[in-house]
Amino acid sequence: MTRIVIAVAAVAATVAPLLLTDQTFFVQTALTALIVTGLSLFMGYAGQASLGQGAFVAVGGLTVAVGTVTLGIPPLLALIVAPVLGALVAALVGWPLLRLRGHYLAFGSLAVLLIIQTVMATAPLFGAGVGIFGIPPLSVAGLVVTDQRVYSYVALAALAAALVVCHNLVRSRFGRGIRALAGSESAAASSGVPILRSKLTVFAVAGGFAGFAGALGAFFTPYVSQDTYPPFASFGYVVMAVVGGLGSVWGGVVGTLALSLWLQVLSALSATPGMPASAGPILQYAGYGIVLVVFLLFVPRGIVPTLAGLRLQRRVVPARAGG
Amino acid sequence: MSDLATYLLSGLALAGSFALVGSGIVVVYRVTHVLNFAQGSFVVFGAFLSQTFRQLGLPPGLSELAAVVVVGLIGLVVGAVAIGKPGTHPMTSLLITLGMSLVAAAAIIAIWGQNPVSPAGISGTVQLFGAEIETQRLVTLAVAVVTLAAMSLLFTRTDIGRALTAAASNPRAARLVGIDTRAMGLLSFTIAGVLGGLAGVLIAPTTAVSVTSDLPFVLSALAAAVFGGLRSPWMTFVGALVLGVTGQLVAGYANGSYQTQIALIMMLAIMIARSRSFTAEEAK
Repeated sequence: MTRIVIAVAAVAATVAPLLLTDQTFFVQTALTALIVTGLSLFMGYAGQASLGQGAFVAVGGLTVAVGTVTLGIPPLLALIVAPVLGALVAALVGWPLLRLRGHYLAFGSLAVLLIIQTVMATAPLFGAGVGIFGIPPLSVAGLVVTDQRVYSYVALAALAAALVVCHNLVRSRFGRGIRALAGSESAAASSGVPILRSKLTVFAVAGGFAGFAGALGAFFTPYVSQDTYPPFASFGYVVMAVVGGLGSVWGGVVGTLALSLWLQVLSALSATPGMPASAGPILQYAGYGIVLVVFLLFVPRGIVPTLAGLRLQRRVVPARAGG
Repeated sequence: MSDLATYLLSGLALAGSFALVGSGIVVVYRVTHVLNFAQGSFVVFGAFLSQTFRQLGLPPGLSELAAVVVVGLIGLVVGAVAIGKPGTHPMTSLLITLGMSLVAAAAIIAIWGQNPVSPAGISGTVQLFGAEIETQRLVTLAVAVVTLAAMSLLFTRTDIGRALTAAASNPRAARLVGIDTRAMGLLSFTIAGVLGGLAGVLIAPTTAVSVTSDLPFVLSALAAAVFGGLRSPWMTFVGALVLGVTGQLVAGYANGSYQTQIALIMMLAIMIARSRSFTAEEAK
C-alpha cells in the first residue's frame, strides 16, 4: 500500500513539470519540502526546534549570489559549495547551543537568521538592502540552463536524494543511536551514544539540505535580498514539519504538500470578491497559527506517523481476534 | 556631556520596558519551564487596547488600566492553550505559543489593521543632569522598578508566591502538598500578560507599536531574560540596562538604530558563554 502511494507520487511529481507552464510553484514546493525534511529529522530526533532554519537557506542563497556575481566562480561549483557551507554554519551554531536546553537553539538559530538579514540589509558585499541581482543561470561545462523545467527536476532529484539519505541515516547504526537518544538521553549516553555529536550531525545535515535549497532557489529566482528569507517563512517550516510528523522520513514532504494546498485554499478565499484587502495577511497568519496549535494539541505525532499507526492497528486487531 | 546624559537616560527608560517584558518571560519560565514566544504579542495588544479604550471615552489612566487587565486575560487564554493539556512537553508548549503569536497577529490585523499606533501618553519633558527627557519615559522606568520590586516581594513574601516558586522548582512535591501546579502555571501566564500589557501601554506613547513589533520585543526581552538565566527578575533588569544603554549609545554615536541586533548578539554571546560553563540546572 505504502509502496503504491510512493510510486504514484513519484510518477506524478516526475510528470508534473512537463504539464506545468509556470515552474515557480513546483520548484518552491520541492525546495521547501527539502528544507522541511531536514528540519523534521532534526526536530524528531534531537527533540529540539529550530525557529530560524531560514538562516541556512540564506547561507546557501548568499553563497550562490556572492559567489557567482561578485567572485565569478562557476555556477555549478557554487551549487556544490552552498550545502557544505549551510552544514558548516549549522554546526557552528549548534556546537555551543545544542548543549543547552532546547529553547536556546530555537532562539539561537532565529537570532542568526535576523543577524544575517541585517547584514544583507547593510553590507555592500551582501546586497546592502537592494539585494544582489543578475545571478547567472545554472550551467554545466558550457551548457547553460535555459529551460525552467531543469530547475524542477534538479529540485526533485535533490529531494529524492535527501529522502534516501534520511532513510539510510535512520536505519544505520548511527540512526539507532539517535532514535535511542530521542527516547532517553541519559539511557542512550550510558549505552555509548555520543549525544552532542549525534545531534550536531543531524543538525548539520538539516543545514546542508537548507543550504542546497537556498542555492537552487537563488539560481531560479535569480535574485536574493534580505526579504527573500523572512522569519515568517522559517516559522512556516516548523509548522510543516509538525503537521507532516517529526522524525518520519516522509513527514517533511507530506507536511509541505498539506500546508501548501491549505495556503492555496486560503489565498483563493482571500481573493474572492467582497473580502477586505487585509484578508490575505489575516488568513495567512491565522492559517499557519491555528494549524500549528491544532496539530500540536490533537494530532501531536503529525500526519505520517498517525496514518502509519492506524494501519498498524488495523493489522494487529484482526490478528488478535483470530488468535 | 549632555548628549551622553541623554543617551544614558533614554537607555535607562528603554531598559525599563525591556525589563517588564523580560520579567514576563521569566515568570512563565520559572513556573512552567515554558519559553513564551507570545510575550511580544502581549505588548502589541497593550498598545492597541489602550488606544481603543481611550477612543471609547475612558479617562486617561483608566483606559491604560483596562488595557492591562484585558491583556492579562489574553495571557490566561494563551496559557490555557499552551499548558492546559496535561503532560505537554515544554518544547511543545513553546511551539504552541509560537502558533498563538501568529493567531494574535491575525487578530490584531483584523481588529486594528497594519498601521502602527501611538496613543497619547503623559506629555511634557523633564530636565535631568543637563539632559531633557520625556516624562513618559521616566514614568516607564519608575513603573518598571516598582513592578519588579512588587514581583520579588510577591515571590518571596507571600503564600501564592511561595506556591508559584514551589510549582517551579519541584512540581511533584508541590502537588503532594496540595498546590495546583496547573493553576500556578495559568497564573504565571496571566501575570506575564499583565507585565507585557503594562509595557505596551507605557512604550506606545513614545515609540509607535505595530503588529510586527512583537518579534523585536520578544527577542530584546529574551536577551535580557537570558542574562538572568531566565530565572531572576533582577538580573533580567540588569540585562535590560546593559541592552538599553548600549543600544542608545550605539544609536547616538554610530548613527542608525541597531537595538534589536545588539539584543540578538548579546543573546547569542550569553548563550554561548552559558554553554561553556553550564550548570546541572541548565543541562538537559
